[in-house]
Parts: sequence; C-alpha cells; structure tokens
Amino acid sequence: MTFPAFPRSVAIALLRFAIWIAPHDTHEWGRGMLSELNHVEGNWSALIWSIGGAGVLAKHAIVAIIFPGSHRRTVSTASELFDKELPMRKTTLAIIAACTVASLLFFVAPVFRQAFRVSLAQWHTVLNVKQSFGYPSPDPELDAFAKKAEHNRDAEALAFIAVRYPNAIQRERLADEAVQLNPNLTWVYAVAGTAYLSPSEIDRRVSLLKQWDPQNALPYLFAAQKIGAPVTYSKEFPLGKLEQNPAWEKEMDAAFQSPKLDTYLDRQNQLDHRVLSRYRLDDPFQAASGDDRYGFPNYGVGECSLYAQSLLESGKSLESRGDRKAAFEKYLAVARFGQMISIDSEFTFLIKKEMKEAYGRLASLSQTEGNGEAASFYTSLADQFGKAADRQRLLLRNRIQGNDVSNWNAFLVRLSGLLMIFCAALLLLCMLGVLVRSCSFRLSSLHPSRLTLALGFGAAVGSLLSSAVLFVSYWPYSELLQRFLSKGDDSGMLELSAFLRDAQHPLGTRYSLGTWVVSSSMMVFYFWFAITVLCALAIMLAVFRHYQTRLRVGAAA
Amino acid sequence: MKTPRLSPQTLRVLERFIESPTAWRYGYELSRETGLKSGTLYPILMRLAKYGLLETKWVTTEDGVPPRHTYRLTPNGVALVRSTFADSRSSARTALKARRPAFSGGKA
Repeated sequence: MTFPAFPRSVAIALLRFAIWIAPHDTHEWGRGMLSELNHVEGNWSALIWSIGGAGVLAKHAIVAIIFPGSHRRTVSTASELFDKELPMRKTTLAIIAACTVASLLFFVAPVFRQAFRVSLAQWHTVLNVKQSFGYPSPDPELDAFAKKAEHNRDAEALAFIAVRYPNAIQRERLADEAVQLNPNLTWVYAVAGTAYLSPSEIDRRVSLLKQWDPQNALPYLFAAQKIGAPVTYSKEFPLGKLEQNPAWEKEMDAAFQSPKLDTYLDRQNQLDHRVLSRYRLDDPFQAASGDDRYGFPNYGVGECSLYAQSLLESGKSLESRGDRKAAFEKYLAVARFGQMISIDSEFTFLIKKEMKEAYGRLASLSQTEGNGEAASFYTSLADQFGKAADRQRLLLRNRIQGNDVSNWNAFLVRLSGLLMIFCAALLLLCMLGVLVRSCSFRLSSLHPSRLTLALGFGAAVGSLLSSAVLFVSYWPYSELLQRFLSKGDDSGMLELSAFLRDAQHPLGTRYSLGTWVVSSSMMVFYFWFAITVLCALAIMLAVFRHYQTRLRVGAAA
Repeated sequence: MKTPRLSPQTLRVLERFIESPTAWRYGYELSRETGLKSGTLYPILMRLAKYGLLETKWVTTEDGVPPRHTYRLTPNGVALVRSTFADSRSSARTALKARRPAFSGGKA
C-alpha cells in the first residue's frame, strides 16, 4: 500500500472537509472534484486543484448560512417534497449546537458563575427566597457556614457570620462564642449592633466594650442610645427633652470627652478579607454585606447632634454671663467631637450645622480675645468641615442610590440574566417538542420543523449573546472583589455594594424604602419592553407564515 | 428559458462541449483544455447544471479507481450554445461588413 505525498494528502483532507461543511446539494460536485484529484498530475497541482474546489464549496456553505433556504436538495419524490430541508437543517442545527456549547462554556469561568448568581438575585426578591442584601432574611448558605465555623471553633469566622446573621438571637450567640474563643474580637459586639437586644444584654456588651477599649467613644454612644431610644420616642419624653436626662447626659459627655472614636470598620474589613480568603468564599453578597453598615450606632449621630446643640446652648448661656473660658470649652468640645466623628463616619453632614456654629463661636470668641490668627484658623476649619460633610453626603447618596455606571451595569446584568433563562427555556421547549414529535431519542430520527429550527436558532444565539453581555458587564465588579479577596484592598467595595444593591431589584422596578416598587418613572423602560416583545412576536409570526407559504407553494409545484 | 450569464470563461467551456456534444467530459480534462482552475471551472459547471444545460453522470473507468464525475450538454444546452455561437458569428460578420470600405463592395 502506498501513501500519497503530503501535499496530496492535505489536498484530499481539505476537500473532504469542504464537502463536510458544504450544503447537501453541492456534495455531488465536491465528490466530483475529489475523484478528479486522482487524475491531477503532480502533488502541488493537486493541492491547488483542491484549494480551488474547497473555495467553491466554502462559498456555498457561507451562502447557505446567510440564506438558509437558498440551498435546497432537488425534490425528486412526493415523500421528499414534504421532507425537511436537510442542508438547512444540518447547518442550523450545527449553529444551534455551537451557540449552546459556547454558552455553556461560559460557565467554566468562575467569574461567569458568579455573575450568573448575581443575575439570579432579582428572583430572590420576587420569590422571597432569601435576601435581601442589607435587609437580611434567613440564608441557608450562611447557616451552613455558621455550622462549619462552629465545628472548626473558628472565632474569626464566627465573628464574620455574627455581623451578617439575620436572626438577632443567633447573632448574639455567635458574637459571644467568637469573643469567648478570642477576646480580641470584643469589637464585634459594636459591629454586630445592638438592635433587638434586651437592655440587660446591651448593658453587658457596653460594659465589655468599655473595658476592652476604654478610650473609645463608641461604647458610650451605645449606652446613650440605649437610654435615648425608648425615652426619645415616648409621649412623656418627646424629642428634644432627652438632654434633661442625667444618665443620657453622662454617657454623651463621656463620649464627647473620649480621645478617639473607632467604629472598627478597618478591623472588620481585615477580618472579612481573612475569613473570605481562608474559606475561599467568592460570594460577592457575603463579601460586600459587611460593608452595608454605616460604622456607627443607629441613632448615634442624631443624639450627637442633640447633645452638641445642648452644649452650644450652654456655651452661649455661659458667654452671655461673661464666662468666655467655659463657653470656649463647650464650643471646643463640639468642634473636637465633630472632627473625631468625621474621620470614621459617613453621617458627619448631619451635625454640619452644629459644627458650623461651634467654629463660628470659637472664631468670634478668639476675635474678641484679640487672637485674629486663631479666629481665621477656626473659620478655615469650618469651611473644610463643610466641604468634607458635603462630600460625605454625596458618597452616602451614591452608596444608597448607586451611580449611573453601577445602575447601568446592574441593569445589563439583570436583563442578560433574564434573557439567558428565557432563551434556555425556549431551547428546552424546542428540544422537548422535537423529542415528543419524533417519539425517539435517536439523532437520525429527529426531524425538527422549520418553526422549531427558527425558534431554536433564535434561542441559541440569544443565549450566547446574553451570556457574553452578562460576562462583560459583571467583569469589573469581579475585579473589585478579587482585589479585596487577594490584597485586602477595599477601595472598590462601596462600588460593589452599590452595584449589588441595584442588581437585586427585579427588572423594571425601583428601590424605595427598603423594598422594590413598580415605578411610574420607569415608563420608558416598560414602553420599550412592550415594543421589543411585540417585535419578537411579529418576527416569529412572520417566520412561521413565510415557511407555511413556502411549503404550500412547494406542494402545489 | 432562463439562461446563465455567458462570461468569456463560460463561452470557453461551452466551446469545448460543443466540439463533440454527445461526449462525456471530465472536470480535470476540461480544466486542462480551457486553462481554467477548479475554482473557476466548477462554479461554471454548477451554474450550467442549475439551468438545465448540463447533465452529470458518475462513470467507473477501471477497477480500484473511484468513479469519476462526467459532464455533457443537455439537448437544451446544445441548442442554446449553437444559437449563441450562431448569433456571435453573424454579429462578427456584420461587424466585419461594417468595417469594409464602401468602394470594395460596390459591384452591382
């Protein structure tokens, strides 16, 4: 047996491949070119012959893809007249299969799996499965992780969960367990919050925090909040009368006198990073949910503002009595606390008015004392504080509402996720339809109708396109998460939080007061959504009618 | 009857066929005679077959060698080619007459 020379082998392989991809009605011509190869003199001539022939067949293959009906097998018998168009079916099926495989291949990438989970979050809200980032309800994944952490007696993991756990009793128990295992994690009591805790439990935690970090103003603010919360909102003590409560005044005074205010945000970020890396957690919701707190007791800022007002009033009273030094101390206490709070809290703008007044009074007193340099210094501090407060207000607004980029990307993620599900469902329906009609699982006996092919084609291409859009629109947020997980860089976590918050609202709704609502401001979206659906239906109907007409014409001929 | 576009290459192929209209021709043989590469020849053959001017047949030449695809003009094809070439010859004659000097033809 002799083997053909290499160029001739290539020529044969090339023509065979070209025949394989070519439409059915050109196969005979392809085989004709192939048979002639045996008679072409010279190996290189054979290769040139083959290239020319393959080019012809490839051109027909491309035309068949673009115009599926352009290449049809010659109908020779009555039974074939009603048979399916084999070349068209083959090419279309190949495209459907290729698109489906390509869509599935996206799932190999961890980033895409993550993106897909994020795109499904909108359904959690609709179906009330779990959720809600920032407004947690029971989460089976967190439950499983808690069990694992308890089993491992991992104090940091327990602290990580305690901050996120939706149930207050469990949160309390997990925080206790974490602190028992590692007393250096006592700060978790502050981060896990005091909401829904009994007064005695709050006292116990505040006492532990005061012992653990005596110079921090935070435990005193918690204590003041505990006194203030029931008092402030009762009929007996309407808002504004709180400053007459000595216990509250004592705690607030201690807070204002404290040398520092640490809300433990840095510690929490570091712990999050360590736990996420250790357990290889790549759930963006878990990574970012710790960032959803505002680093301060819930009512803390409001009460700080109240206490600052009372200090300013008492300062003015002292000033009017001529005790400038005591008045100066009062104003200074407000200014000092304002500076302290501005380092770590996003709510600085809420005491902007008091701070402005405190600096104004300090500047005025300094001027009166003949210290012009100090007066201009306090004036400049007032300006700086005002600008910083405005900046923080903007940041907070972005954090709550998200910016345009994150809103848009979240929209794309939700839309592409929905389209993926729709296309996959359509494709499955088509497959089921074909199987039911054929009553067989053998590939050769499956004969999809033209309508099924058209729908399957649209679904497969749609699935591929939506997968690509989902991947591309989520990619930057995956990078932000990876930066946090690998390097502990939390600079992008705010952006990620805003994006995730937007990504959770069902498409076409708006976030408002902790829930999603169908908003009249989304009228443009609803309009275009309706137009798109109508267009899709019209196209499907047109395709269906077109093929029906062609079948009738073919039968008549 | 619809007819394909008769490019110079197509005419070259048809000339080969019309030389012996009943004979079956091989693709490689036509390629050599017309000097056309396979990438040019086969689209012409396919187009002629599509318009019903060419018929094809598989023939076995010798044992062990795969059958070959052969081609010849259909009666319609032969008629079209003959009329085409007749037209072109009369056109050529007319053109030649038109070029002939007026004094040389003034016998009568």
